[in-house]
Amino acid sequence: MKLMGQAKMLRIHFGEDDKWNGRPLYEAIVEKCRELDIAGATVFRGIEGYGASTLIRRPHAFRFSAGDSPILVQVIDTEAKVQTLLPVLDQMVSEGLIAMSDVEVIKYTHQDGENLK
Amino acid sequence: MLTTGPAKKVSVYVMEGEQYHGTPVYAAILELLFYRGISDATVTRGVAGFGADHKLHTTRLVDLADKMPIKVEFIESPEKVEAVLPKLADMVGTGFFEIHDTTIVTPQSLKHGHAPEPPAIKTEGKAKMMRILIGEHDKWNGKPLHEALVESLRANDIAGVTVYRGILGYGANRRMHKDSALSFSNDAPLLLSVVDTEEKLRGFFPVLDQMMKQGLVAMSDVEIIKYTHDSIKDERRREVRK
Repeated sequence: MKLMGQAKMLRIHFGEDDKWNGRPLYEAIVEKCRELDIAGATVFRGIEGYGASTLIRRPHAFRFSAGDSPILVQVIDTEAKVQTLLPVLDQMVSEGLIAMSDVEVIKYTHQDGENLK
Repeated sequence: MLTTGPAKKVSVYVMEGEQYHGTPVYAAILELLFYRGISDATVTRGVAGFGADHKLHTTRLVDLADKMPIKVEFIESPEKVEAVLPKLADMVGTGFFEIHDTTIVTPQSLKHGHAPEPPAIKTEGKAKMMRILIGEHDKWNGKPLHEALVESLRANDIAGVTVYRGILGYGANRRMHKDSALSFSNDAPLLLSVVDTEEKLRGFFPVLDQMMKQGLVAMSDVEIIKYTHDSIKDERRREVRK
């Protein structure tokens, strides 16, 4: 695994209730990222927001983990790897936003402390 | 690390009940010294004393016993002492500190240490955002890594940091991090979003390298539109604390 220096960051915004083949879309995206050997993906749940559908997404106050909260999936890898993910995302995300930006990777290591260069 | 030869000894005198941004002054000073890589520091609580206000504080009177004089003392090389002085001067409030010349005869042995960072510069305009991705279970010196990082960033005068908890993710070690409500051992992915000038952030890399065993650090360009501090609100908070 090589990841150092110039890279791309993809941020995918959609709702927690969005599904892909019957399962949560965010789970499906993370799984797809692993399949494609993407360096990493992280899912965040927002507390309020609105987006492509202009609906205000706000979780219900009295339900345990429910409501259509806004979801952000953040993916970082080289431009080439991110490009392999884009057509797949295009199919999976029917309503949402995908944004790409430049990042510089400073460090990418695992437990043994070795740099995965 | 301390070496044999000339050094400075700094003694800081503060009052026990005094606060700096919500924590006792002596604790805040100790934290500053710790994260700035000062080799050693000792906090001593006096049993009686008086300061600028000329009020006698003593453990013999119960109502005055919470305002004992506190001395924080540390010994370092002149350069390292020089680097922490501006921040220290800002923190002591109504207290004071003195510097003595001293000589190290037998240096301590230290496994690791890091260089002090330059003093704070307020940011506006072009800046960098540093994203640090780690796991909630990652530890540093026995405390949660994200907490240690936030403290360390603060002690190094970095403009700001926010920690976000993710609900699912994986990273360098291919291990899936998942947040589950019913599990005591959930290791959620965490994102620390740090904003400051490129220079300040790059200056923090050696510290980061020493603290982080695994994870990802990525930098990107941002433009600071607003970075303000509500001084009126802060004043009010200070009043409440008194």
